[in-house]
Amino acid sequence: MTELIEYEDLIGKEGLEELKIIAQKIKDKKVLHVNSTNKGGGVAEILSRLIPLMNSLDIKTDWKVIKGNYEFFKFTKKLHNLLHLNTHEDIESDEIKIYLKTIYENINDINTEDYDIIFIHDPQVLGLIIKKQKKQKWIWRCHIDTSTPNIKAWNVIELFINSYDAAVFHMPEFVYKGIKIPTYVIPPSIDPLHPKNIPLNQEFIIKTLNRFSIDPEKPILLQVSRFDRLKDPIGVYNAYKLIKNKYDCQLVLLGSFASDDPEGEEVYKEIINQTGDDKNVFILNLPPDSHLEVNAFQRAATIVFQKSIKEGFGLVVAEAMFKQKPVIGGNTGGIKKQIIDGINGYLVDTYQGAAFRARQLLADKSLREKMGQNAFNFVKHNFLITRHLKDYLILIYELVNS
Amino acid sequence: MNIIFEFKTEFWTPTYTQISANTINDFKNAIKLIPLNSLLYHFYINIFNYNLVSSIYTNDIAYWFYKNSYYSIAEEIASIDPTEYLDLENLRQDLINILSKYSDDKIIQNSFYFLTIKRNIFFTNLKANTLEEFVNGIRNSSINSIFYHLIMSKLDNKKPINDYSEWLSIQGYSQKAELINKIDIYALNLVQVKKLILEALTK
Repeated sequence: MTELIEYEDLIGKEGLEELKIIAQKIKDKKVLHVNSTNKGGGVAEILSRLIPLMNSLDIKTDWKVIKGNYEFFKFTKKLHNLLHLNTHEDIESDEIKIYLKTIYENINDINTEDYDIIFIHDPQVLGLIIKKQKKQKWIWRCHIDTSTPNIKAWNVIELFINSYDAAVFHMPEFVYKGIKIPTYVIPPSIDPLHPKNIPLNQEFIIKTLNRFSIDPEKPILLQVSRFDRLKDPIGVYNAYKLIKNKYDCQLVLLGSFASDDPEGEEVYKEIINQTGDDKNVFILNLPPDSHLEVNAFQRAATIVFQKSIKEGFGLVVAEAMFKQKPVIGGNTGGIKKQIIDGINGYLVDTYQGAAFRARQLLADKSLREKMGQNAFNFVKHNFLITRHLKDYLILIYELVNS
Repeated sequence: MNIIFEFKTEFWTPTYTQISANTINDFKNAIKLIPLNSLLYHFYINIFNYNLVSSIYTNDIAYWFYKNSYYSIAEEIASIDPTEYLDLENLRQDLINILSKYSDDKIIQNSFYFLTIKRNIFFTNLKANTLEEFVNGIRNSSINSIFYHLIMSKLDNKKPINDYSEWLSIQGYSQKAELINKIDIYALNLVQVKKLILEALTK
């Protein structure tokens, strides 16, 4: 298990001391996090790292996961999509019944009574609020963009949301205008000690590149993302085509799709078709737990792209920035919060723009190094798990004292 | 006079005011409505958070106008130095005065979202009774603590002198106090500021 002291090199003694000072103020409080899965996805990943750290500060913190059957999760997935993407689907009364039935079944299994602060992550488990006791503070931690939800879906969750003491969003742009409870803004974070981000030796990096026949001596342009049209992999390929007229470089599009992800497979095949037999283009479909390999590719990359057309927060940007890489990102969602255009990376709206910025970076090593250094410093200060932890501790302090 | 200096630190929890603007005229109206702590947030968040990167403009209101091609407004707003204000109501008025010269209902694609903050101030475990202890305290202070004593203390106490300089003056170190009070905080970042304070103290 990772210990808080291991973060000292990054946040300094004074950073650790501050965490202890705030924790001391709330040390008699018990905290519970509830979500819908204990593995897979960003929420489970961050909780698995955050909860041990809260406990190491002597704040008793537990994590519980809701149980449900296929129909329940089918509906909550639909609800998630309706809130996030505003797909035009109706919500059936039978689906609401299944949702409420599952919530009631979980009421006995999930003990919330023993806790002072309850964090409910995402919309799936919102209904547990019916167990709220007067002395408790319940927080809805929303990890998705609900700014333009399907109104019927919003009406379903609003019944629950209004009983919460606070909501927390990654950024104000994700907040639906009709929300009536206090809305805090706490950006997500990366863990520098996760296998995705730990330092790697050069030998491992070279070995990883060799495994995929990638030339370590030639510049590498990289995008790490799901095979999803919204990540614009074809746009990245088009940018590469413009760049390669001037620079002998390689393009790596690294992602993964599961067997139950037909769209991912379709997009993957589409990219393969488009890129044809270009020997300098590598479309790699890696298993989802290839953390060290992704880390190695990010460290080996000369320039990293995240040319999304629509994005949630896009923490993969912070991961690359933490490795001192200049990132060329799509001018959308949370990417705009991570990249200060021209200072620690570039924001672009088109593949032509991406190509132009990449050429500037390829032509100027000192610019790459300067931006990479700025990128590292920016992430170190704003997007590490220790900042996230501090924000949660202060939020708890504030709510219990309100 | 022997007064113990107790180092404090300050943390913010940003909340969304539910007020946003996507035209200049919207922005002008919003400035009149937002809580003063919202001004505090938007004028200082970059010095607070972007402390390791020099951004184009220190305050993010100016940066928003700049990003949306309103260069003159951006420059005028950037020239406001919030460290010179002891009452944020005056800062609001100066901002309104600048904006009153401009009018535009053209929709800006990226809205400005007004956040506000609740301030939380805590004592740290650091105390100083002598100059040596004070230097040691500064050395072990976080940038949040520096921010509190150098900037927020002036606002809270409505005094033109910051906590550090006031204590140093009382202890008879007027020159060091003066040097610290003259640091151009708003043109730097807090890591640089911390370094300058230490330089002033060890001169």
